[in-house]
Amino acid sequence: MFKKLIVFILIGVIGYMLTVTFSNIPLGENRIGSLDNPETVSAFYLNKSPQDLKVANTITAIVVNFRGFDTLGEVTVLFLAATGLASILYRKEDEEEEENIKHFAHRLNLPSSSLVRTGAKILFPLLLLLGIYVFIHGHLTPGGGFQGGAIIATGFLLMLISYKGFQTNHKVMVWLESLAGLGFVGIGLYGLIAYGSFLQNTGWTGNLNDLISGGLIPLIYIFIGIKVATELTNVLDILLNIKPRKK
Amino acid sequence: MEIIQEILKYIGLAFIVMGSIFLFLGALGIYRMPDLYNRLQAGTKASTLGAMSVVLGVGFIQPDWLVKLIIIIVFIGIANPLSSHALARASYRAGIKPYFKKEIDAYGKAVEKQLKKIKKKLQNLNE
Repeated sequence: MFKKLIVFILIGVIGYMLTVTFSNIPLGENRIGSLDNPETVSAFYLNKSPQDLKVANTITAIVVNFRGFDTLGEVTVLFLAATGLASILYRKEDEEEEENIKHFAHRLNLPSSSLVRTGAKILFPLLLLLGIYVFIHGHLTPGGGFQGGAIIATGFLLMLISYKGFQTNHKVMVWLESLAGLGFVGIGLYGLIAYGSFLQNTGWTGNLNDLISGGLIPLIYIFIGIKVATELTNVLDILLNIKPRKK
Repeated sequence: MEIIQEILKYIGLAFIVMGSIFLFLGALGIYRMPDLYNRLQAGTKASTLGAMSVVLGVGFIQPDWLVKLIIIIVFIGIANPLSSHALARASYRAGIKPYFKKEIDAYGKAVEKQLKKIKKKLQNLNE
């Protein structure tokens, strides 16, 4: 009884505090302000990205241009995650685990059915195409480098699951990943040298809603897309091909 | 022209209603059926047809998008049955038994044959 009373009092206190907090937040009000006379940050972004940068997708303008340095950090985090996964998953071999592998090997080594293999063959190039489309049009339509890269990695996952012998070309992957990272940093350094600040966009921006517009933004997103795609593919490759280390 | 657009709009709405009925029946089947295989069957058939007709209905209402929507329909038609086929096979191989007592088990016999072949190969390799 006493416990229940305490619980009710606590719930009452928490509810009271929540109502007080939420009553101070103007929910449902227009907090952007007028676009002609910007007072807030969001109005500034909404004005600036179509007018000055000629980028239709405001989120892309924020992610790649206004906060480009942050995005560089995100790509680095992804790279570190892939490296960490690779180093952790190769571990010493257990006897128990070895027996498990022997017991299930026959079942798991069965080939996938011909339906799945044919379907994967049809869908794989389409998925690659969709991913490339998404990251090339990152400044025009929803989506961008990260999403397009994830779609490409899904295509590779499909192939890795349905074909037992499917292997990605590690040399090409490593080169693509390194070149994409280098390209991103190189664009940043170009901005630093030519315009005085890291990842500064060029003065030339083109027209709104054109494929080639927005200065360096599409180029950066293409680099991000390639990098994310290769990294996620490597992660999936590692996860599917865990081999116990020989003693 | 406006009359044709109006007619197309009502055809599209009919398709959307039909599709949502099928999607609802699929969800009901997933909730109601006793085991994984029955649920897969209910879910796949109903949701493939439901999603296809909803997308087609949108295509009737907005004829500008029709080409893209037909590509989406083809994609659903390939991917949805394939994925549930793969799921069903994988769950059979993982050892999930059907709920009802089975009398006919053609795939089980095929798996046994394949397993025997692989075991023989492994034995030959070991020797």
